Amino acid sequence: MTAAIAAALLVLALLDGSFAGFRASVGRTGLINHRRSDYQAARRGAVLICVLLAPAIADVCAEVLVHPAQLGQYTRAGRAMLAVYGPYALLVLSALACYAFLNWRLKYLASALILGPFTLLRPLVVILGAALGVTLSTDAAVVTAVGLSVVAVLAVEPLAGRLWYARHRPRKHATTRRGAWLDRRR
Amino acid sequence: MAPRPLEITDLLWSIDADGTPLAVPQAEVVDRLMALGQRRAARIVSAIPAADGVLDTGYVDALGFRVHCELQRLGEELQLARRVAALLSPIIEMVRLNSTGPVRIVDVGCGLGFVVRALAASSALGGDVELVGVDLNPLLVAEARRLAEREGLTCRFEQGDAFKPDLAIRDGARCIVISSGFVHHLPESGLAEFFAAQSWLGVAAFAHWDIAPCLWSTLGAWVFHYARMREPVSRHDGVLSARRAYPASKLQQAAQIGAPGYDIQVLEGSRWHPRALDVLRPIVGTRP
Repeated sequence: MTAAIAAALLVLALLDGSFAGFRASVGRTGLINHRRSDYQAARRGAVLICVLLAPAIADVCAEVLVHPAQLGQYTRAGRAMLAVYGPYALLVLSALACYAFLNWRLKYLASALILGPFTLLRPLVVILGAALGVTLSTDAAVVTAVGLSVVAVLAVEPLAGRLWYARHRPRKHATTRRGAWLDRRR
Repeated sequence: MAPRPLEITDLLWSIDADGTPLAVPQAEVVDRLMALGQRRAARIVSAIPAADGVLDTGYVDALGFRVHCELQRLGEELQLARRVAALLSPIIEMVRLNSTGPVRIVDVGCGLGFVVRALAASSALGGDVELVGVDLNPLLVAEARRLAEREGLTCRFEQGDAFKPDLAIRDGARCIVISSGFVHHLPESGLAEFFAAQSWLGVAAFAHWDIAPCLWSTLGAWVFHYARMREPVSRHDGVLSARRAYPASKLQQAAQIGAPGYDIQVLEGSRWHPRALDVLRPIVGTRP
């Protein structure tokens, strides 16, 4: 059971990281066909969430190795987090399936009704799941691991933006020659 | 009647009659926004780098490009190009039946030319349709050209005024003028003149998409601009667009004055409940 919960949370984190990477990239270049850069951004997001989650995962592994009795605490917290993230993910994935396979009018509805609003709600959902997780555990190590995970999940999109797409931003004190920044990009 | 609030992107560039960009004094923009009580917008403009009191054109151009890229992303999500293609296809068929030669679609106030480039990329309207984008801002025209060239798209972009679309129109009878998210940028006093400019050229039809103003579209604009946009300017202007958009009755009235020979319809339903599918709706004029 514990392994299944850990695996489910990890899969959700990977998916979320991919989508966060995608969001960090999209709407930057103005190109019509940006499928390749979308996939690349999703891969970058997935890698970045793995890197950012490493401290939390290491913390959990070390703690469980040293204090095996703590495993139950982590399982309870993980189950509570999954109870929040699972339905959210299910709805988002269903909307994405609609977006991928239905005609353009329904694609748009999936985006307007689910994907857009749920992106806005995402930070709150992440925090809500974590809060529920830590309320079921009084252990400081569990709280630390959950806290590190939340920071990791919420950091992917802004960090990916800074790491890979900041070149689309102008210098702070750009030259006053019109179009100079654009010249540099060419 | 209270003055309409201003969008920041309408103030960051000043283009003279020849199409040459002019210096924009930062204090002037901030004062205009403050005079309308738009403190947040004034703060955003105050944060833009300036040299000798003039907005840094390099920074503003880069910002403008980013804002329009974000706007394009929203247009993609709204399936804007498909909406345009779905509406224009039967009109183009009608034009083809009435005369011979290529049909031209002219997108006025095209920005980065997303709709024109997306239509060119999809070939949804057929090979005999010429696609032309017109915008007053030379930066956006240059960028639209660069992007089209980079993707090998068959379309072109001209710098010009939406009130003088003749630079892109040779044969009005085989031309359809469109725009998207543009009409609310016009002053109310200029609406009839905008439609008249197309009517004088005898265009076969016009179709201008804009947000249908209501509580739902304002709420939707807020959700989507905060969920999808990164730039404070995009968020500010995006939400304000929904508030500034003209109701159907006003558009219809202006079009009837400016283009009296056209059959005019605003294709929208009741605004009392959310109408997610037609949050962007067109005013369409066709020559009988």
